[in-house]
Amino acid sequence: GKSLTACSEPSSLAPQPGSVGDRGRRPSPLCEPPPRSNQKTQHCLALLVAGEMSSAAYLDTDENLEALISRIEQKSRKIETLLKQSKPVEALKTALEGSPLKTRDERCKSANWIVVHRAMMAIRDIDGMFNSLDTEYYDILMKYLYRGLSTGDRPTCDQCLKIHEKLTERAGLGCILRSLADTVNTVFVVDKSIVAYLQLVWLVAS
Amino acid sequence: MFLQRHDQIVSGIDWSRSSNKIVTVSHDRNSYVWTQEGQDWVPTLVILKLNRAALCVHWSPKENKFAVGSGAKSVSICYYEQENNWWISKVIRKKHESSVTSVAWHPNNIHLATTSTDGKCRVFSTIIKGVDTRGPQAGASVDWKFGEQIAQLDLSPTWAFGVRWSPSGKTLAYAGHSSMIYFVDDVEGSPAAQNLALRDLPLRDILFVSEKMAIGVGFDCNPLIFAADETGLWSFVRYLDERKVTPSTSKASQLSEALGKLYGQSRQGSSSDTVEPSKPRGGAHENCITCIVPLRKGSESIVKRFSTSGLDGKIVVWDLENHITIPK
Repeated sequence: GKSLTACSEPSSLAPQPGSVGDRGRRPSPLCEPPPRSNQKTQHCLALLVAGEMSSAAYLDTDENLEALISRIEQKSRKIETLLKQSKPVEALKTALEGSPLKTRDERCKSANWIVVHRAMMAIRDIDGMFNSLDTEYYDILMKYLYRGLSTGDRPTCDQCLKIHEKLTERAGLGCILRSLADTVNTVFVVDKSIVAYLQLVWLVAS
Repeated sequence: MFLQRHDQIVSGIDWSRSSNKIVTVSHDRNSYVWTQEGQDWVPTLVILKLNRAALCVHWSPKENKFAVGSGAKSVSICYYEQENNWWISKVIRKKHESSVTSVAWHPNNIHLATTSTDGKCRVFSTIIKGVDTRGPQAGASVDWKFGEQIAQLDLSPTWAFGVRWSPSGKTLAYAGHSSMIYFVDDVEGSPAAQNLALRDLPLRDILFVSEKMAIGVGFDCNPLIFAADETGLWSFVRYLDERKVTPSTSKASQLSEALGKLYGQSRQGSSSDTVEPSKPRGGAHENCITCIVPLRKGSESIVKRFSTSGLDGKIVVWDLENHITIPK
C-alpha cells in the first residue's frame, strides 16, 4: 500500500486570507540537513531500507552526529559575526535554521539550544524582531521558548516570557499546541516540555 | 422521544437517508440498528464482539454496510444477511495501534478511511463477497481483499480525528490534534498532502460542503471555513460565526500574565490581580463542537445547511445560503 510520512516540520502558517499550503513553496531553510553521504552512511541507509535499522538510529550514526555538531559550530561563528554587526534578528534566524529536531542525541540538541539562546538573549526590540521574522519560524521558536522557560534561569525566563507574549499574539494558540504536541521534532531529548505542559494545565484549570 | 436500549454513553449515531435506518454505537460495546415501524423505532442488536467501547459509526453510501471504529484498535464492518435476518460484523483487527476515532466511506462504497489516536489516517478495502461484488462497478477495487490497507498517512505527530472524503472521493481531509488540518489528494494513487497549520485550537470534525469547500469544527467553538482555489490549494477563509471573539488575542495576554506570576515577575500596567478563567464569549456554541452533519434536501450535491453539536449540549443549525458563495 501507499505510505506518506511527514518528512519535515509542518509549515508554520498563521492562517490569513489567501495563505498557501505546502504545495508550491520553496524548500524551507528550516528543514534539517540531510545525513552526510559517505560509505558508512550508505551502508546504514541500506540497513534502514531493509528494515534492519530504525530511522532514529540511522540519523544518529557517528558520521551524521559529527556533521551536525560541526554545522552547529559553524552557525555559532556566523551568529557571533552577525551580533557584532548588530543584526540580532538575522542571528536568531540563522540559529533556528537547520535545527537538529529529529536526532535523539543530547549533545546536538544542547549545542543548538546554546546557539539559539545566545541569539535570543541579544534581542532588545521584540516587536521589531517580529516585523522581520517570517511565519515559518514561529513553531520552532515557540519550542525553544519553552526550553528556555524550563531552565528557570531568571534573565532567560524574562526574555522568553516577553517573546512568548508577542509570539502568541502573532501565531495564536495553535502554535503553542504544536510545540507541545509534537513529540517527533523536539528541542529536548528527555521531554522537559512536560514541565511547561503542566504549567499550561495549571493555567487552564485556574 | 427516546430510543432506549444502550446502558452507557452513545458515542456514535448515523441515519441513513434512503433506507431510513438509524445505527447507534455505545461505550457498552454494542450496536443497534433501529427500524421505524409506525410511530416506534425497533432496535436490532448487532454483535460486534468488542472488548472495548465503540467510538464512531457511519453508514456506507449505498447503506448496505456500516463501519464502527472502536477503542479495541479495530474497525467492524457490518452488513445485512438476508437469509438469517441479522447483521454480521467482519473485523479489521490489524494495523491500528490505538483507538479508532473516526471512519469515513469513499463514494465507491468500498474504500474506508479511518483516523486513530496513533496519529495515522489509513484507507482500507471493505469489499465483501455477496454484498459488493454484484453489479458492474466491481472494477479496480476487486484487486484488494477485505481488510487490506490501501494507504497509510503518517502526517500528524499526535491524535487524528474527523476524516472525511470530498463528494467525488478525490480529496481526503482529516484533523490533527496539534491544530493542523491535512488535505490529501489521490490517496489511492500517488498521495499529495497539504498541511495547514491553524491559528487557534484543534478541530474535531470536518464536513465537505462541496468539492472545493470544507467546514472544520472543534475547540474554537466556531466553525472554520476552508476553501480550495483553482489549482487545488487549500487555505483558511474565515470563521463562520462572526459574533464570536477569537480565542487567541484575548488569551495571549492572560497567559503571559499568569506565566509571569509563576516566575514572580511583576508586570507593569496589568490590571487584574487574579487571572479570570477564559471562556469563549458570544456565538452559538459555548463549548467544543464535536460533530458536524449535513442537512441535505433531495439530491443536491452542494451542502447548504448543516448542523453542529457540542459539549455544551447544544445543536445548532447553520444556513450557508445567504452568507457565503460556495465554489463547486
